[in-house]
Amino acid sequence: MVAESPVPEAAISEILQALQKARGYIDDEALQLAATMTGLSPVKVEELCTFYSLLLREPVGIHVMRVCDSIACHMAGAQDILAQARQHCGVEFGEVSRSGKLTVIPHVCIGMCDRAPALMVDDEALGPMDKQALTRLLAQLEADVWKPS
Amino acid sequence: MKHVFFLDGQETPFIPGQNVLEAAIAAGQDRQIPYFCFHPALGSLGACRQCAVKMYPHDSKHPPRITMACLLPASDDLQLVTLEADVHTEHREIIELLMTNHPLDCPVCDEGGQCHLQDMTVQTGHSVRHYSGPKRTYRNQDLGPLVYQEMNRCITCYRCVRFYQDAALGEDFGVFGSRNRVSFGRLEDGPLESPFSGNLVEVCPTGVFTDKVFRHDYVRVWDLQQGPSVCPHCAVGCNTTPGARLGTLRRIRNRQNPEINGHFLCDRGRYAFPYVTAHSRPLQPRLKGETSRQEAVLRQLASRLEEGRSGFLGSPREDLQSNLGLFALADCLHAPFAAVTSSWAEALAQQCLALPQAPSLQEVAAADRIVVIGDLDSIAPMAGFAVRQALGRGARLTVLASSRTGLARKGDYRPLRPSALPDVVSRLADDPCLQGGRLPVLLATAETLGPAGLFALRKTLEKLPANARAGAFVNRPNLFGAAYFAADGHTERLQQALRQREIHHLLCLGADPLGEDWGAGTWRTLSPGLDGLALLDMVDSQTARAAEALLPVAAFPERAGLFVNYEGRIQAFAPVYRREAQVLHSAVHGSAFPEAAGGMKHPLGPPPPLFWLGRLAELLQVHEAWQQRLDFYLHFLCPTAPDPESPGVLLPDTLRARFAIAALPTTPTVESGQWELDIFRWYGGETLADTAEDLQSLAPLRGLRVHPDVQAEWATLQGPCGQLHLPVIPCEDMVQGVIAIDQEGFAELGLYPGDPVEVTWEQGS
Repeated sequence: MVAESPVPEAAISEILQALQKARGYIDDEALQLAATMTGLSPVKVEELCTFYSLLLREPVGIHVMRVCDSIACHMAGAQDILAQARQHCGVEFGEVSRSGKLTVIPHVCIGMCDRAPALMVDDEALGPMDKQALTRLLAQLEADVWKPS
Repeated sequence: MKHVFFLDGQETPFIPGQNVLEAAIAAGQDRQIPYFCFHPALGSLGACRQCAVKMYPHDSKHPPRITMACLLPASDDLQLVTLEADVHTEHREIIELLMTNHPLDCPVCDEGGQCHLQDMTVQTGHSVRHYSGPKRTYRNQDLGPLVYQEMNRCITCYRCVRFYQDAALGEDFGVFGSRNRVSFGRLEDGPLESPFSGNLVEVCPTGVFTDKVFRHDYVRVWDLQQGPSVCPHCAVGCNTTPGARLGTLRRIRNRQNPEINGHFLCDRGRYAFPYVTAHSRPLQPRLKGETSRQEAVLRQLASRLEEGRSGFLGSPREDLQSNLGLFALADCLHAPFAAVTSSWAEALAQQCLALPQAPSLQEVAAADRIVVIGDLDSIAPMAGFAVRQALGRGARLTVLASSRTGLARKGDYRPLRPSALPDVVSRLADDPCLQGGRLPVLLATAETLGPAGLFALRKTLEKLPANARAGAFVNRPNLFGAAYFAADGHTERLQQALRQREIHHLLCLGADPLGEDWGAGTWRTLSPGLDGLALLDMVDSQTARAAEALLPVAAFPERAGLFVNYEGRIQAFAPVYRREAQVLHSAVHGSAFPEAAGGMKHPLGPPPPLFWLGRLAELLQVHEAWQQRLDFYLHFLCPTAPDPESPGVLLPDTLRARFAIAALPTTPTVESGQWELDIFRWYGGETLADTAEDLQSLAPLRGLRVHPDVQAEWATLQGPCGQLHLPVIPCEDMVQGVIAIDQEGFAELGLYPGDPVEVTWEQGS
């Protein structure tokens, strides 16, 4: 990736994405590695990681569910979806559920206002969601039978 | 041609290239335009949206519109308005948004009274917060002993990160998060690494970053006595504003001088001041280690001087008048005088004075080809800051040093042994690193380069284009002023007189010949020949502890004086406050006077050195001759003394011309396979700064720095004046064959940077 970039620093987003895919999240070791590879200071890499909400700096469950809480989704009931998901996990947003299968994160915005309230599981966006659809989805995720379409 | 635009009907002059806000601030009209993210040294960002002005177009087709003054280039006849209701509403509403999460803790905030946010809030008339929801809160970081963080007060103007990353090129501080969760700090808790971290306190427009040292002995800023002063911690001579209260110094802030330090100050300049309030500071005259009456000490000292077997030793650490006062007294008594403690340092001063006019830091910041020799950041950090500013403008930097210094990481680094420097410097004129530049500048740390290297630098400069400039730096504020009258083998003569028993008494001013000054090893070997040593100083040095007579002197913010900086710029400083020091006996009645009656306080604290020297001249009945000589020398060097508020006056070239004949000094030869010495310093290391506990808590370990290929834990160095046993600190960045030790080590060994040294490596302690 570094070799293909016009300057080493330009490869940082791809490197971070690759590291996240491999490790689930960007741990401190991955952060240092990305800094060394690109010649950026660790602070600069942390700046990027904390700026982009798709990059994660904390451990997450096997699946990450990002529930959109932007204005359109909020109007369509995103808060109910979030509450239901949190209740299912039994932990706060951003934490790993007791089963270790799921982490729920409120997220702005996944660009699916036409299908509000929307959410994203791993890399797949789904919507519109309602109580039943979410219950089904959560059950599939718990049972490890959910597959991206 | 005069350029003007109109702000609320008033003519506002501007220089082409300025934006409207810059011009308005320069014209004193900033009360009409509130602002946050704009900073004169950091430029415009347009992030805070506070500096709105209404622009009326010249035609009738376009309606008037509100725009940001910091992003609007000033142009002739621009019609701008801030007094209309919609502009005022914009100002008030924007500040209300910025204040949404602000904790409004002004009564307990250190920034209160000097807070830009407070000023702007009052100025715009915002007084009622409409938002009643919960406020965003943060966990604060521990940023070390110098800067205190309180993130909740942040209004996200980004000034701190723009200063730290873009101006100071620091890498351990940044901005994290996005939207409502933006925070500024380090990756993890720990002291800020930049030698310029204290400027966060001044650039922050609110109380997010406050002065942690000032907190220890805090006072509201409106209660501070402040005045113009000059930093005494290195040869740059940054302008400062010390603040004092109840006779004690509380803090140092930057005082803007566009040609030197601009808007900033290094951490040594800001945090080294506690030498003034240190418990160890001598405040009472001492005779043979016992506190004594000043008249007794003066009479004893005068009787010593009357014997006619005294030598006089000045110091580049003391100001111009004091050194000249000492020189004048030596002259009156026909006694030998030296301004520096070793012949090597004298040659160094002579070569520094022989260099043509050095560039101001403003010129360094405008240079496009820069060569730095040695670790500039650790000697004169603000010179290093000017190099960083030049780098930000696209300058090409080459660093010649024996280790990868902070600046070497920002440019091309050429690892070199100190003994190789004179040779390399003499060939720099043809080097590609200086070719093709509009303004080439060479900056050296004088001690690393040595007298021979400085000679080579002068010769190289003659071969470079006429606009090429060079400057040499030391960490003493007044090398030029001290060395001007005593640069012709005077130190050697003084030492020779002591060796041959022509003199057996020494009167020193601010020097530490038995401690850590250059050549201290030689003085220590000569000290058995001394029957007595008298010292005028403000710090508790080894020489002060060994002195027969000690006369305490006022610290620099407590008196007036002149420093001559590395450019030959003569700058004046004024007394900022009066220290109250307790005296044991009433000077009038010779007996204790009740404290309750207020009689135990000497109203002025220790007097300046000139007072002591004048009293000595009186007792020796040479006062008139002394005064005449002092006035003559002062008039010769500085016919019109500058005002403390002025940017200073430059020593004319005609006065420096006599040093141009300074010959090539001899250099020691280093055989291949021999170890050679270089000096290790850090940015907080300097005699006065050594008593500043907070700053010194950041000091690196004392030891001997060497490339890690040496497998040893301890080493013993052997020099002509003694030996030194130090732990080995492996240092990846060191050049092989070079050993770096601190100045104290050099003083003990009796050696100088670039000298070969005998070393024995040892395992275990």
